[in-house]
Amino acid sequence: MTDQLATPVVAVVDDDHSILRSLEYLLESADYEVRLFTSAQALLDSGVLPQIDCLISDIDMPGIDGFELVRYVRAVRPELPTILITGYPDRLERLPPISETAPRFFTKPFPGQELLAAVSDALQPLRR
Amino acid sequence: MQKNTAAVPEESHFVLSSLAPGRAQKRLAAGVVLVLLVALYLITGPLSGVKLPAVNAFVAIYATAMFVTDSITAILLYAQFSILRSRAILVIASGYLFTALIVVPYVLSFPGVFAPNGVIGGLQTSAGLYVLWHCGFPIFVLAYALTKDEDPGKRVWQRDVSVATRWTVAATAVAAVAGASFCIVGERYLPPIMVNPMRFGPEWPYYVGAPVALLCTSAIVVLWLRRRSVLDLWLMVVMCLFLIEIPLSYYPMPSRFSTGWYAVRVVGFLSSSIVLIVLLYEITTLYGRLLGAVVGQRREREARLMTGDAVAASIAHELRQPLTAMVTTADAGLRFLDRSSPNMDKAKEAFKRIVGDGHRAGTLIGSIRAHFKSDVRERTAFSVNELVQETLDLTRDELQKNGILVQTQTDKDLPEVRGNRIQLQQVLLNLIMNAIDAMPMKDAAKVLSIKANLHEGGHVMISVADTGGGVNSKDAERLFNPLFTTKPDGMGMGLSICRAIVEAHEGQLWFAPNGARGAVFHFTLPADRADSVSPPDDASVDRSESRAG
Repeated sequence: MTDQLATPVVAVVDDDHSILRSLEYLLESADYEVRLFTSAQALLDSGVLPQIDCLISDIDMPGIDGFELVRYVRAVRPELPTILITGYPDRLERLPPISETAPRFFTKPFPGQELLAAVSDALQPLRR
Repeated sequence: MQKNTAAVPEESHFVLSSLAPGRAQKRLAAGVVLVLLVALYLITGPLSGVKLPAVNAFVAIYATAMFVTDSITAILLYAQFSILRSRAILVIASGYLFTALIVVPYVLSFPGVFAPNGVIGGLQTSAGLYVLWHCGFPIFVLAYALTKDEDPGKRVWQRDVSVATRWTVAATAVAAVAGASFCIVGERYLPPIMVNPMRFGPEWPYYVGAPVALLCTSAIVVLWLRRRSVLDLWLMVVMCLFLIEIPLSYYPMPSRFSTGWYAVRVVGFLSSSIVLIVLLYEITTLYGRLLGAVVGQRREREARLMTGDAVAASIAHELRQPLTAMVTTADAGLRFLDRSSPNMDKAKEAFKRIVGDGHRAGTLIGSIRAHFKSDVRERTAFSVNELVQETLDLTRDELQKNGILVQTQTDKDLPEVRGNRIQLQQVLLNLIMNAIDAMPMKDAAKVLSIKANLHEGGHVMISVADTGGGVNSKDAERLFNPLFTTKPDGMGMGLSICRAIVEAHEGQLWFAPNGARGAVFHFTLPADRADSVSPPDDASVDRSESRAG
């Protein structure tokens, strides 16, 4: 677990570079430490999973998709807050029923303030 | 005659009376006549001694069958008249109606069927009706043969079709009734054809044989001189059967219920059903082919819609990405500026990125316009490799569902080609769908391989190979015909359209066997002249060709 006083680390997974960059700016503007990955496999291989405080991932990616990644992360770190983003709004109509630990969802394009608020909310238990 | 063939309207290519008979049909027709000549020889020769009982019910059955088949033939021919509006068809339809109507008084007057001396008329009535019937029909055939090549401009007007049909039916009925009435009421004026209810008189050849033979021979001669269609061919056969009936009736025993007499009824029934059988066969075949064409067109359309949908979805996604990046980066930029001590460097960086993403979106919109440009003549330069990948993406579901392994072999140095991207994607999509259809579910190893490489003459060649059943040599000739298909559920239009599209791009589309199993379809497209290069060396081209073969 990360130290409470240290800067929270947010991992972002998306196969689109410009989206990754834009999320990096946004999260940096809120003073988070950001780790970028172009695929779910790259995140899993990097070994940073135990050190991150929040995960933001795209759903539709080649190879392991966002849903699969969340399922995998759940097994290792059940408490890790996750946020999923998607370019296909109709994806959200077929979601499993919402539970307490279920990830938050955002449809592209999303308002930056709302995403930051969601990250901040997710990190609340950590800060307390 | 050549001129007339050319003037036949488009729709007539699907109607029996305008279709040209194939070699097989001509052979079959000759075969039918030959078999009957052999039967004629057997019955008048070796079998002439056979004695058969007089079965009166046979006459009733025979007449009923003749009435039914002739009526149906007449109805089908009247239906063809309503499509073709040719007077000749109207005439021959009336000929069949005439024979159907004449059969009724014939059976009623036949001695022994319903009453010992017939229900109507006297001794000569049924014989007179037979003459009327067997002279009447050849006259209709003659009239048909003489009117069939008339100027298509003189065809009956569309709105006059039902009036013309009604008048002709009425006139034919009047003629039949008048002829029959004369044979019944004026029986005593008829020549002495019958000696008694069973036996033909010595003058039978003059009163029955000669006129029937004369009319039938003239009809055959005129039909032969003007022969062109399937209907002409089979009417000639019918006339031959009428001719064969004459010696059969009189030799060796000029009486009713002889072997020859029975044979005449069988031949008569055959001649009455020949045109009906041919009509039904042709109608069914043509119906099947038209159905195939319609299904093919619908699938063509669906494939197009499928491409359209997939393209629209991918465009929406492609545009959403730069837009999202722009909005998110702009949000970040604003936050850097909003700080108590604004981070100008970060904000500047952010704005630069927004500009970059904006341009990316702009390029995308440009390519969308190119995609949806309705002008089919518009041609752009594009990468074959991308086209292959994109088309495979569109068919991925179908390929996975059928458990097909995909191998692609593309050359990244391949020059771009110039053409209508959407049309060429249709061609590739069609060839891939064909390949999928050619590989049935049960086959174990199913491989679809797509190759793109340089071809001679500055062309790029794209090959789609499957491991299905291949194309047999019989189908090979007709493969590119618009109405041809080997698939139970349609297509047909596909390959002919594909070939037309490729040829419009100055390319070629052909196929070859894919090694031991399956087929490979190749098509070539000219490389874009701007960066067109000749093949690097012949060896590399040959190598890829042999692999494709």
